[in-house]
Amino acid sequence: MSGENQGGAIVPYSEEAKKPVVYPLRHGLKPPISRLGISWSRGNSLRVTVFRQPSEDSENEVGGKAVEVRLDGRDGEISDAQWRRIAYGSVSPFALLQSRKNSFASLSKISSTTSPFDAEWWEYVLEYSKDISSLLGNQTSTTQSLIEDPKEVLKDPEPSNLKAAWELMESFYADKLSQAWLPERLVDWLADYDSLFSSTQETVHSKLVDFQKDLVSLQVIEDEPKYWEVMSSALAVGWLDIVVKLLRLHGSYQLDQLGNRETENGLVEAVAVLISKMPRMRPELEAGKLGECFKAKPDFMKAWEKWRAQIAKLECSTFWIQCAHRQTQEGLRNMLQIMLGNTNNLCTLTCHWMELYIAHFLYIRPFTVGLESMYGLAQKCIQLKPMAASHRLMGLLIGILGENIEVVLAECSKGFGPWMVTHAIEVLTAGSHQADTLLHEERDNLGGISMEELHRLVYAQVLSSHPLTWQIAPIYLTSCIKQGMGLLEMLLYKQPVDHNQLLLKNLEICRLYELDSVSSNIMKIAGMYNWKHGKKGSGVYWLQQARDEARLNRIAQQMFDSVGRSISDENFRQWEGLIQLLGSEPKTAGGLEFLHNYRDFKKSLLQIRDGKTTDAARQAVESLISLMKNPCTPQRFWLPLLHDSLKLLNWEERPLLNVLQTNLLLNKLQELSIARLRPDFIEADLPPHALSSVRLALATNLGRTTLEEQ
Amino acid sequence: MDKAVATLDKGTTCSSWNYCGQRLATGSTDGTLSIFDSPDPSSSSFTCNLKTKVHAGAILKVVWVPPEFGDAVACICSDGSLLLWEEIVEDAQPLQWKLCKSFESTSTQVLDVQFGVSSTSLKLVAAYSDGHVKVYELLDPLILKNWQLQASCISASISWNPQKGENQGSSFVLGFNSDTPQLNSSKVWEFDEAHNRWLPVAELALPEDRSDEVYAVAWALNIGRPYEVIAVATQKGIAIWHVGANPELDGRLSVEKVALLSGHGGEVWQMEWDMSGTTLATTGSDGMVRLWQSNLNGVWDEQAAFQPTA
Repeated sequence: MSGENQGGAIVPYSEEAKKPVVYPLRHGLKPPISRLGISWSRGNSLRVTVFRQPSEDSENEVGGKAVEVRLDGRDGEISDAQWRRIAYGSVSPFALLQSRKNSFASLSKISSTTSPFDAEWWEYVLEYSKDISSLLGNQTSTTQSLIEDPKEVLKDPEPSNLKAAWELMESFYADKLSQAWLPERLVDWLADYDSLFSSTQETVHSKLVDFQKDLVSLQVIEDEPKYWEVMSSALAVGWLDIVVKLLRLHGSYQLDQLGNRETENGLVEAVAVLISKMPRMRPELEAGKLGECFKAKPDFMKAWEKWRAQIAKLECSTFWIQCAHRQTQEGLRNMLQIMLGNTNNLCTLTCHWMELYIAHFLYIRPFTVGLESMYGLAQKCIQLKPMAASHRLMGLLIGILGENIEVVLAECSKGFGPWMVTHAIEVLTAGSHQADTLLHEERDNLGGISMEELHRLVYAQVLSSHPLTWQIAPIYLTSCIKQGMGLLEMLLYKQPVDHNQLLLKNLEICRLYELDSVSSNIMKIAGMYNWKHGKKGSGVYWLQQARDEARLNRIAQQMFDSVGRSISDENFRQWEGLIQLLGSEPKTAGGLEFLHNYRDFKKSLLQIRDGKTTDAARQAVESLISLMKNPCTPQRFWLPLLHDSLKLLNWEERPLLNVLQTNLLLNKLQELSIARLRPDFIEADLPPHALSSVRLALATNLGRTTLEEQ
Repeated sequence: MDKAVATLDKGTTCSSWNYCGQRLATGSTDGTLSIFDSPDPSSSSFTCNLKTKVHAGAILKVVWVPPEFGDAVACICSDGSLLLWEEIVEDAQPLQWKLCKSFESTSTQVLDVQFGVSSTSLKLVAAYSDGHVKVYELLDPLILKNWQLQASCISASISWNPQKGENQGSSFVLGFNSDTPQLNSSKVWEFDEAHNRWLPVAELALPEDRSDEVYAVAWALNIGRPYEVIAVATQKGIAIWHVGANPELDGRLSVEKVALLSGHGGEVWQMEWDMSGTTLATTGSDGMVRLWQSNLNGVWDEQAAFQPTA
């Protein structure tokens, strides 16, 4: 699929019907194409078979191609391996949260005093959020060099869009503590993630990056107009530490300059100090960041007034006239204007509406509180700086500020995919009553499931699309109360059985989730697969595990076919082994008992062939007699048995059967002859003279024994 | 992101993947059946390990037999016959593909065949060019040779209810594309255990559409919905029907046409539902692959389309 598909997974959402996107399907065949075939394979993979028109030209031997298309729509930002790492890593936090939710639910059923939204619950949600967030950072080693390069102003952290989006949602929905100082939270957020917007437009971050490249070669830094512009822009978005660091690179600090640029330096330093003492409406600051923190509004207001007064005083000071360096004078005064909240300056120096938005929070409306006013301000900033290209993070923020859960979901889905939606829903439902209601409502037109369940099902299908991630789909499916099990059954059913490891893994999952019928079906398929591919022992084993009586009975029936036939040693061993495996199940007791006895008889017959003594022969005779006497022995096998025992009956050394035994057998033969006249009698598959040979042998035997016994 | 997973020989006209997507069977104009495998389940590249000539004429369609009965393929041939080939180790011979059953047909052509699995048996529904539908039942679950004709009903697209479990193999939908108007409309057939016969329990066509020829039908897997979803493609487009699960007083099921999609403009060749029964993939004579889904408000729409390009 082409690159413009930015994480557009196939998930329905309630925006108005838009025109469907057309993707190219590359098959590499020469036209003309005569037909297409389609088949869904794992999860969301669609296999399209493209058939060429069968033509006469013999130069091209290719008749068609089967092409696999993946419909999970992930963009190229995250590698496959990274995505798998995130998918696997998310499983535990998700499962833990679900089990906690379940125990809360059962607790609240017992005692109505515990509300599911109490303090403990918030801790769990935040823990979940932090766990997920830690998975999303890029694997960058933060190598701290021992000697800090004074000219390096920007570290290169390489953030990811996913993490940026997650942190936004965490701040607004999960982190109760940051709710009190959201604007400052956004200032921090933009500092971390402004670089992500550089892909589609110019940003303060990109300006800084460009300037940093030039910094190395600049001699007189304060002559460079870009120096002042970049500093002002950084100041506008609140990157105070960078501004101060840059200020201190001013030429007037150099030891040899200090003498004749005192006033200039004084002014520079004054601005630097003012900046570092900027009051901030927030509980604390990270190490290395500048500003003075205030938790309570009255304290902050007092400090704010004082600070602004100091700036105004500096602005009016007479020292400016004495400042020789023009650019420094203009640059510094510009920066003072920013700190005084000059809208024009702020507008010029910021690149996109979010930066302007942050600037408003810092310098114009630091007392902004509440989502409604934050949303209004955002709208105003968008008007002042319209978006040239929309970015998924911007769309998300607008949705959050507008308290429009549907937009938030749509942006998550469109911009970040099913993983994001599924996992973010936990945070959303915790932090917003509107989200909780919307996402848990059961909808008829979805077949009676909630949106929360729908998204989990979609995500599970995405997981099923990869051979390396399908095993984690069950965890999400079991949290879907209505349709989860149905989809899980289908997922398990579609796994192949020819690789033992995969088969065992599959059965393990069935066992874990008590899916007995699925399990027995899979075992049935494995049994048939093995049976048909010559691994009869394995086949019987699996069919027994599956308790497939129908097929096992048929196999037992097939075993009977071997009775009376001469079979090779190896086949006999296999046959014997199968009889052993089939065991003596109570259901097929009659038939199988006979087979067991027959097996013993056959074995002893074989021993004789090996040239053992007459004892073995006598034993064989005992077996034969007991078999013939046994009511379990089906009548149709009498002749085959006797035919098998011909060499016993014709024993040269001496007759093996005594008179009684011979008479028994002759009687059986007589019974048999009468029975054969019945219409439903099944003839054994024996040579035509079998009956007469046996009769002759028995008669001879009778004669000989009679003589002996006399 | 797309990638080629198999390359087919010249003259290949039809293909089918097995239940787990691990084997591909193709049929060609010279009657050759080819089977493609991949070395392991996580690999996505399939090579042809078997080519065997099963018939003198061309093979029009190949359909895999459900895995509970082994590895086997049914081939519909141009002369109207239906052949069943299976991969088996028999007696002392090595593993090979063999013909296990041939359903000869001299006068009429087999148009479509589909397999339905129940806990005890395998059923085969074959639709013939004279308007007959034959339902065969496999007598011995171990051997694919012996089939018994269970029913021959009048009413060539077949789709079984793919439900696994107790309700397995008890109903299918069938629609004809013929010049006999009465035959055409799609009907849902259910097996009546008490009287041991197949009965039509629902008709998926509005009164004014009853004589429309049906190009294809597809029954979506139901993972927990209170109704069944069936897609029927005719020249008027692709209709999505909701069929009630429980019969009404007259023994018939309630039906509701919830959408009519514009389809492919011409003939619809094939329709397939995904594993959750929520996304419908279709191909047609306009040469495109289209994906359809219903949104949160239950409105069906085309979500994406794929255009084959070299």
